[in-house]
Amino acid sequence: MSLKQRLVPYWLLGPGLLWLVIFFVVPMYFMGELALRSGTLTTGFTFDWAWSNFPDSLSGHTEQIGRSFLYAGTATVLALLISYPLAYAIAFRAGRFKLLLLFAVIAPFFTTYLIRTIAWKTILSDSSPVVSVLQTLSLVPPDGRVLATSGAVIAGLTYNFLPFMVLPLYANLERLDLRLIEAAKDLYSSSRQAFLKVTLPLTMPGIVAGVLLTFIPAFGDYINAQILGGTGQAMVGNVIQSLYLNQRNYPEAAALSFLMMALILAVVTVYIRFAGTGAFMGDEDDGTA
Amino acid sequence: MRGRGDNRRRLLALAVAVAAIVATLGLAACGDDTVGGGGNEGEVTTAEGGPAKGDLTISNWPGYIDPGKNGTVAEFEEETGIKVDYIEDINSNDGFFGKLQPQLEQGESGGRSVFVVADYMAKQMHDLGYLQEIDHADLPMVFKTLSPGLRSPAFDPERKFSVPWQGGMTGIWVDTAKAPDIRSVNDLFDPKYKGRVTMLDELRETPALVMLAEGVDPAQASADQWLDAIDKLGDAASSGQIRRFTGNEYTEDLTAGNIVAAIGWSGDASLIENENAEWRMPAEGCTQWMENMVIPVGAPNTAAALAWMDFVYRPDVAVDITEYVEYISPVQGVKQLLEKRGSELAESEIVFPTEEFTRNCTGQITPPDLERVNEAWQDVLTG
Repeated sequence: MSLKQRLVPYWLLGPGLLWLVIFFVVPMYFMGELALRSGTLTTGFTFDWAWSNFPDSLSGHTEQIGRSFLYAGTATVLALLISYPLAYAIAFRAGRFKLLLLFAVIAPFFTTYLIRTIAWKTILSDSSPVVSVLQTLSLVPPDGRVLATSGAVIAGLTYNFLPFMVLPLYANLERLDLRLIEAAKDLYSSSRQAFLKVTLPLTMPGIVAGVLLTFIPAFGDYINAQILGGTGQAMVGNVIQSLYLNQRNYPEAAALSFLMMALILAVVTVYIRFAGTGAFMGDEDDGTA
Repeated sequence: MRGRGDNRRRLLALAVAVAAIVATLGLAACGDDTVGGGGNEGEVTTAEGGPAKGDLTISNWPGYIDPGKNGTVAEFEEETGIKVDYIEDINSNDGFFGKLQPQLEQGESGGRSVFVVADYMAKQMHDLGYLQEIDHADLPMVFKTLSPGLRSPAFDPERKFSVPWQGGMTGIWVDTAKAPDIRSVNDLFDPKYKGRVTMLDELRETPALVMLAEGVDPAQASADQWLDAIDKLGDAASSGQIRRFTGNEYTEDLTAGNIVAAIGWSGDASLIENENAEWRMPAEGCTQWMENMVIPVGAPNTAAALAWMDFVYRPDVAVDITEYVEYISPVQGVKQLLEKRGSELAESEIVFPTEEFTRNCTGQITPPDLERVNEAWQDVLTG
């Protein structure tokens, strides 16, 4: 192979690499560099390999990190439980309404994220009809509330990231070969068995993609906690915001962001290993291993 | 199966990447570049005056002017032909500063020509070299009608970089139908109002009022006394006594009936649609503050900014603003004009507080050991 030939794949990768360098590597570099500075806003932040920013940024904030896992995890599970039947119904039962229903899933998201979240604040306010119905049904204590509770934050996260769960699931279910289910039934499997042994494994890639697309942004979210939450419901995103905007401790904010990226990366790696997502990664052979 | 060569090549690539990162970081360490630290110091510019035309962008807090068709902004546009983009994007002094700081550091104001910020924030911005100075000759009306008591504040004795916008007091907003008895900040800690009380997220307001309620003078308080007050607030937050810490959003919670009381600003009646809501001077006193128009570095069209400042100091304009916002006007003669209009605001102690009314109040105090105290406070806010 001539040198020219060997370089061809790199040329083809070029645009993708360039994109990654400009929008990922360079910002990461600046953030990493900032995380190793020390000082204050008045004296300036000087680069001096200040590794202590990393442990410092964690101290006193472990509770919020745990809470972020809990909230984002719960929201992801809820989103999956809501989305799977929804995507299934749209893919197989909607008939000619398929596109319309799909559009209905996405339509609310033409409005900005912030406005939708603020709208929930009005819908869930203490004296709203929704809350009195919940109180009548004893789902909320008579003097209780919905707004400014963990439940409100989790509900907000679930709602806001729902399409990220529905769409990959739908795309996956839509491609499902129905003859396989038919074959399973021919071999005397019940509907339940056919679902568990055929449909579910084959839609695993969609589930994994949906879970990742929901969990990762939900983990770093701070808007829902800020608007729908109250005291004691701040997530790690709120801590980073406070470090950056209110304490102007840029290095610690950068360090904490870095640590959270590493943490998410670790969690996602473990998850992908266990979920066996060869298919998701484009490697069909490993998919069901 | 992957070959050994493949693995080795990967390892090599990884090693190269790591080496590259370490090398660049090392290079940065050698360079003497510093982020922050008031890069604009030593070259203070003076805002350029002259004939005003063109576009003007103003950043202010919500509810601080009538931005409507017949409001003050429209009147200014009509009179001068300047097109104003009036944005209400300030919800807290610190938050706004944090948002703009990276731009200000680069000598840019994000297209804005006027900010409205509290005394301490104006001073902080000035000390970092983020503000332009103002030539009094460009502001004849301001220095004709500005209240004598506001002409030389401690933070800017010659009014070199700040022009007062409106002042006010921080006390308690009460929904009188639901909690008629709340008269002191201490009452907000009463368990019967659990989860139905909000407080401001400003360090110089909420902890200061808690100290006042405990008989501590914030102006004399030690860092430990600040931290004690912050601890008390932290306990009330984790017990669920305090529903949320807010900026202007407490007005929405009062409107929606989510809360019975809030620590809030005296002139926010225009933002609260709840006829039972009433601002009360805490029995132990309030915090008093003044907010200022400032011209940031890199502000486009400073001539229009100066024209705006002078315009809002015309008593006939100032009286419109007072009537709409119900804060304390820095302009002389507003009271007489209100009386002439037969407005009951002329008698309001909130708009024209007497010395007797504010006898226990204190200014906005910056705590000693600011960094440590602020960190403790932020930990309460994001608890």
